[in-house]
Amino acid sequence: MTNMQFSDVAVSDEMDFSEGGREAASAAGRSAERAKEKAQAWGGAALNAVIGVSGVLTVAGVALWGIQLSGGMVQTAMRNLDSWGLYITMFMFFVGLSAGGLIISSVPKAFGIKGFGGISKVAVYSSIACTVAAIGFVVVDLGQPVRLWELFAYSNLGSPLMWDIVVLGTYLILSCVYLWAQVQSEKGKVSAAALRVISVIALVCAVLVHSVTAWIFGLQVGREMWHTALLAPWFVSSALVCGTGLVMLVCMGLSKAGYLEFSRENLVKLAKLLGAFVCVDLYFFGCDLLTEAFPAAGGMEVVTMLVSGPLAPFFWVEIIGCILCAAVCFVPSLRKPGLLAVGAVLAIAGIFCKRVQLLVGGFQLTNLDMPGPVTSLSVTNWESGFSGAYSGLVYWPTPLEFGVALGVVALAVLIFCLGVKFLPLRPKED
Amino acid sequence: MRYGFAIDTKRCIGCHTCSVACRIENNLPTGVWWNRALTDGGEHMDTPAGEFPNVSMSYVTVACQHCENPACVKVCPVGATYKDPETGVVRQDYDKCIGCRMCMGACPYTGVRSFNWEEPQHVIDFPVGDAEVPEHQKHVVEKCTMCWHRLAKGEQPMCVTTCLARARFWGDLDDPSSEVATLVRERSSKQLLAEEGTNPSVYYLV
Repeated sequence: MTNMQFSDVAVSDEMDFSEGGREAASAAGRSAERAKEKAQAWGGAALNAVIGVSGVLTVAGVALWGIQLSGGMVQTAMRNLDSWGLYITMFMFFVGLSAGGLIISSVPKAFGIKGFGGISKVAVYSSIACTVAAIGFVVVDLGQPVRLWELFAYSNLGSPLMWDIVVLGTYLILSCVYLWAQVQSEKGKVSAAALRVISVIALVCAVLVHSVTAWIFGLQVGREMWHTALLAPWFVSSALVCGTGLVMLVCMGLSKAGYLEFSRENLVKLAKLLGAFVCVDLYFFGCDLLTEAFPAAGGMEVVTMLVSGPLAPFFWVEIIGCILCAAVCFVPSLRKPGLLAVGAVLAIAGIFCKRVQLLVGGFQLTNLDMPGPVTSLSVTNWESGFSGAYSGLVYWPTPLEFGVALGVVALAVLIFCLGVKFLPLRPKED
Repeated sequence: MRYGFAIDTKRCIGCHTCSVACRIENNLPTGVWWNRALTDGGEHMDTPAGEFPNVSMSYVTVACQHCENPACVKVCPVGATYKDPETGVVRQDYDKCIGCRMCMGACPYTGVRSFNWEEPQHVIDFPVGDAEVPEHQKHVVEKCTMCWHRLAKGEQPMCVTTCLARARFWGDLDDPSSEVATLVRERSSKQLLAEEGTNPSVYYLV
């Protein structure tokens, strides 16, 4: 269970997109096939423990959600002037996390280049678990979840939220189909050409799902922080950062547990990709900050709020974490499994901070900042009046929100671990 | 037809009568204000801007702006918020609202949309105001209806009827002979956040 399976073979620094090595891979595939037949249900006590704990946490989360619905959302910290909170932050975050797996799995297949060595199915499965969590977070945020059916009966197809529901649903179904197709193709029941077509469609859908999530925010002219054309590509790049980070962590963990073999060569390839994505994401952030700050007009407020205002801790954690992650990924002598894992965690944490900045930042700056009557339903920290409510972070979640959010995250972990245990996700060929 | 308001900021004394009348007429739950008199002055309510003796203070009463190009209507996934095609009034269907609060994110006019975060509470144990007002619901978004129930009876919105300073005017902005259209034409006026392109149907006479 414990010994590391990273081979210590010296690895060339170049990305290897060649078709070579196919024979070796197929030989390895045959032996892996025999190994798989032996173990249909995989995993020992540790995996069972994780499944048990996440199951309990999921049930606790559902119970807390029941409390939220019966006692009212007044038990959350969300109020009229900060009407979204932790749930929508986590929704954005999990949509992003779901990207990595699908893209890392589908890009090599779609373009016919060499993949990352057998992690394809596990990667897609991690996407599925994250997508379920993302949908879960939208549902727990709704005031009237029993009216969810109206989305299909009275769909306003002009609403970015409706687009997101359609695309997210398609994305989930497509991920499942894609995973199924990979399993079937290994059995020779789905042709490589068909798999390639599905992977192209899945890739397009993955890019779309991030863009559409960005448009929920980016098309709102009334919020200075959100309204930018950069938001959609930026969501794609952020998704690639945290998604790749997640796939790296999952594969390192599973390799350590002996579930699959994740060679150092493939780890380094993923790390370099992660480094590149982090740089693109930081570049977009730089472009956005410059565009906001340069006219020294309204946008300056956004920059001040991030750099030295209430959101500064989240801003600096993101910037420094991403820079450190890029350094670990790019400097060969730092590319040790332990440090790379830290780098991946920093990247994921950085993108989470980005989501917090985006969501809270949208509400932190008001358009009509004239003082008026304030009640307990107006804004989170209403006791100190209008100006007091905005002196610090305008929103901070309550324990109930943390509990419900933990429950939804536990659901994703539960789904993932059950898949690891029961589904044929172990590598066969690549 | 485009129903709208003209609000004379030179006559408004910031007495909050319109806000209170709105609360009573519409039986608003505790803590809910569809219309609020905001102080255009210092950092706190009812404080002037500037330093004595060079101080200034006025009030802007803000409720749903019933925009001609409403941001909220576009984003509602189920069409629970919609613009009445005949009158231009932006309406909200409590029975349809799924409580996603997308409209609150989209509306540029800070705080005019209100979500019932709890089971609607009232200080007194019987409803007040007009019996035609739809019942308030938990976990849905609501806002100024332009007193839809009164318009149906040919009456003016309650905030206009009760304004002590006679600073509020209501009517059809598309009818050149109406009082509101005349005021907007003859006085200088501004719309709130005109740069957002929502084209509000509330004009503030300055």
